[in-house]
Amino acid sequence: MSTAVAVPRTHRQKEFRRHLLIYAGMTPFLIIAVFPVYWMLITALKQEPDLYRIDNVPFWFNLPPTLKNFETLFYQTNYGSWIVNTLTISAWVAVITLLTAVPAGYALARLRLPGAENIGIAIFMTYLVPSIILFLPLSRVVSSLGLQDSWWALVVVYPTFTIPFCTWLMMGFFKTVPMEMEEAARVDGCGQFGALVRIVLPVSLPGVLTSVIFAFTLSMQDFLYGLAFVAPGDQKPVPVGVPTELIRGDVFFWGSIMAAVLLVGLPVAILYNSFLDRFIQGITGGVGK
Amino acid sequence: MGDSHLVQARHTSVSRRRFLKVAGGSVAGGSLLTMLDARQAPAQIKGTSLRILTWSHFIPAYDVWFDKWSAQWGEKNGVKVRVDHIPHLEIPARMAAEFAAGAGHDIILNNATILARLYYKSLIDMTDVYDGLGKKYGGWIPAAKSPIEVEGRIYGIPMYYILLPMLWRKDLFEANNLKAPDTWELARVAARTMKSKGNPCGIAFSHCNDANLNWRSLMFSFGATETDPSGDNPTIDSKEMRETLAFAKALFDEGMTPEVFSWDDASDNRFLASGIASWIHDAISAYRTTESTNPAVFKNTYVGMEPAGPGGKRVSVSAPIVFLAWKFSKNPQGAKDYLTALVDVDKEGMVASTGYNMPFLNDNAKKPMPVIGADPKLQVLQDFPKIVAFFGYPGPYTPQIQEVANLFVLPDIFTKVARGTSVDEALKWGTGEYRRIFAKHKRA
Amino acid sequence: MTGSSQTSGPDATSARAAAVSVGVDARSRGWLGSQTSRRLAFGYLLLAPASAYVLLLVGVPFLFSLYLAVSDANVGDPVANFVGLANFRAAWEMETFWIALRNSVTFLVVAAVFKSLLGTSLAFLLLQEFKGKKLVRALVVIPFTLPVAVSVLSWKWMYDSQFSVINWALHRVGLIGGYGSESWPIWLGQPHLALLACIGVNVWRTFPFTAIVLLAGFTSVPTEVLDAARVDGCSFFQRFRHVVTPMIFPILIIGFLFDTVFTLSDLSVVYLLTAGGPGNATQILPVLAYQIGIQAGSLGRGAAIALMLVPLLFPALLVMLRNLKRRDW
Repeated sequence: MSTAVAVPRTHRQKEFRRHLLIYAGMTPFLIIAVFPVYWMLITALKQEPDLYRIDNVPFWFNLPPTLKNFETLFYQTNYGSWIVNTLTISAWVAVITLLTAVPAGYALARLRLPGAENIGIAIFMTYLVPSIILFLPLSRVVSSLGLQDSWWALVVVYPTFTIPFCTWLMMGFFKTVPMEMEEAARVDGCGQFGALVRIVLPVSLPGVLTSVIFAFTLSMQDFLYGLAFVAPGDQKPVPVGVPTELIRGDVFFWGSIMAAVLLVGLPVAILYNSFLDRFIQGITGGVGK
Repeated sequence: MGDSHLVQARHTSVSRRRFLKVAGGSVAGGSLLTMLDARQAPAQIKGTSLRILTWSHFIPAYDVWFDKWSAQWGEKNGVKVRVDHIPHLEIPARMAAEFAAGAGHDIILNNATILARLYYKSLIDMTDVYDGLGKKYGGWIPAAKSPIEVEGRIYGIPMYYILLPMLWRKDLFEANNLKAPDTWELARVAARTMKSKGNPCGIAFSHCNDANLNWRSLMFSFGATETDPSGDNPTIDSKEMRETLAFAKALFDEGMTPEVFSWDDASDNRFLASGIASWIHDAISAYRTTESTNPAVFKNTYVGMEPAGPGGKRVSVSAPIVFLAWKFSKNPQGAKDYLTALVDVDKEGMVASTGYNMPFLNDNAKKPMPVIGADPKLQVLQDFPKIVAFFGYPGPYTPQIQEVANLFVLPDIFTKVARGTSVDEALKWGTGEYRRIFAKHKRA
Repeated sequence: MTGSSQTSGPDATSARAAAVSVGVDARSRGWLGSQTSRRLAFGYLLLAPASAYVLLLVGVPFLFSLYLAVSDANVGDPVANFVGLANFRAAWEMETFWIALRNSVTFLVVAAVFKSLLGTSLAFLLLQEFKGKKLVRALVVIPFTLPVAVSVLSWKWMYDSQFSVINWALHRVGLIGGYGSESWPIWLGQPHLALLACIGVNVWRTFPFTAIVLLAGFTSVPTEVLDAARVDGCSFFQRFRHVVTPMIFPILIIGFLFDTVFTLSDLSVVYLLTAGGPGNATQILPVLAYQIGIQAGSLGRGAAIALMLVPLLFPALLVMLRNLKRRDW
């Protein structure tokens, strides 16, 4: 009888201790990742003079908070257009990347094509070409396509750095799918294509989602191509627009800059999180424990 | 901060209207001239388009004026005008892209990094426009030609330049019974006195544009030179340069804190706004922004003349802004007309920039100048056009000087000395770098 | 997954092979040849879009950059002459070049160490079940989602010599003195500290990337395999080392390789924080190449410097590939 009572308590204790350990482990990460973001948020809501006193507390308001920076952002710059451009460009690039990299990754991983290894290496080697040189001939390509100064130029150009990586990523994921699954599918009557679509892809969903995440992220990181190919204010993506209109000469509009960064990061973070949910849910007590 | 600058914009337009009423003559005359010119404008530019690439001016109101004026000019002349803005430091990359593409804007602005000599074979020859404007407005200041002249022809139109004067805290100076920093020696003494009280001075020892500009002002005022008048030979290895470096070391040790090694172009603005700085030598934008970030400091900050070196010489190195036009432009006549008209309304532009755009034309530099002529704190700026110089002084602004500037060789020499390298060694290294870079371009 | 019950044993294999060939026979003309040719056609078809994209938009420009590196091209000249290795020699003669090379390698190695440590620990932690997991996960990936050009600017302010939040916090906790004292770090002003500061930003931005790749890898390990291992009595670490790691090794290698390339060729962090200063303390090859090639206009020399990254990456590439081959890649 006494043992029956003791077991739940020990289990609870164990759970408690486990949670404590995990929280302790997570705390440094949370601090590292989140404290700059928290600081950005506070700064975005601060009045400008508040930033320039050494004695002021950076983590809270010394003068009352204000929404002025957000107002400036939306009413005095083209920020609205920039966000829409950024998200649209990234979405298109993600689509193009998936349509090209997933099949390519599968072909290289599974179809035993002669020269597959070399092709794979060649695709990787394209990353060795520095973008600071690349943007010049690409400029010619963009203008001959008539896309100069339109954000479509970026939709055409960004896949050049998302495709190689995502191809390799998908290769890696496809390699972890056991051959037997595919062969079994083919025995069951699917063709090559059917096997790919009905069996392999669903299992490699984490890989596909990861590729989308990276395509999105890589598209949002670029500054040089956006600068070189898109000059009109309303066509720019956020990374080019912000330094243009919120950094004038040596005058930085800090509050608005922070607001700009946060607002564009939020939707993307939500997107990523829903993806991570999807593929982490796949573990039913799997690796950890 | 956007808000305060908005307020500024309103002030500016009100003052401009008032100014126009009072002054009547020159500005209104300028505009009239523009309109007359426009009516006489060749019909061939009607129905064409013109695309202009410019930077984001630190006075947002100026950009508002610029965009509006450009649109109006376009309407008057039947030209579809579009103005785009990008950060000034990235204009070289954009130019390279447009050149590679063979297409892009018709007119591009260059700020500080003047690439006329690099691209002159693909730029429109503007000699006739340049000479015409010079004749109309009393001649160009001596420093105007250097950035845009190649083999006797002119490949761009200088529009204005931004000054880097002395910005000093009168209240702190007076509290310590110090004389105004009219010479570098006085500035050094002041910094030494006030550093111990918690108010050091600051000039950037780092890879930033301000460092390139400020240290050159110092060395030129000490009598040192960067290249010979032909521009072919670096001349930094001189007695005067050694004196300058020794002075800079003393200034750093006595009057500054090590944070200056981490400064970027905006750090000195922040330094002033925090109230700590006793003086800085910085672009005038720092003065203006303190108005919104720290009004108490702003009230006590005064603009000073470029300090004199030991020989009494004063040279102020500034960042020129010139407009270039591509040969591949489909509207060369429109480009020329536009630039002519823009120079014609130079005074309006000066007002729109709240007095910070300094004129390249002698007539426009005559006192009283718009805005700064009336502001007692800013009047001293009117004396700068006589002493302004650009990179490479007294030689011209060549691609090799451009590379020296892009690699921050000169600030590096000063940084080495501040960090403890002997003057001779640092100068030897610097001279070596200059020679190497100059040799590179000779080969090319 | 009807075949899974027959996953072991030679009999099962040959039975399966027989079944497959029967299936094949039933559909094709019974020829191994046309099955192969269909596979090849299918394969190259799948490969075509990616290859075309990459070949045209990157391959051709790559050849162009090789051409630039051996010519005396500058930005304004439509015509350039062949100069052999002169540009490379010019680069080797520059003291700054060797400093930049050293810094690039240091940057890469130090960043990689921290990223692996942080990324792996984070991935493990995220695998655990605990309350608030979803929120934590959402927060922790944020650094990765912010556009680099602007998040680096925030770090610039955070490293400011006067207003640094980091210094403020450290001072409040008593670990350093106040502003103006000897122990007040000037993050972007002291040579070694500046490089570390740049590395710090790179690590901050990309360790979520490492964690995500690892997580994705972990999740693709089939649970049956893990269950089987657990049933066989493996401890957690044994399971990890002998079962999980080999299976996800390809993904790990790819993640590592690409991160290496991205880090080595990344321009923005250093360019925005210090532009290579103070006194070239944080100068790295991409920034140097940009300053010489684009801003100063000497395309030939800039291209040569940028291409010097290739020899750095080659060893890494070869090692990785050999490793992958060994594991039946």
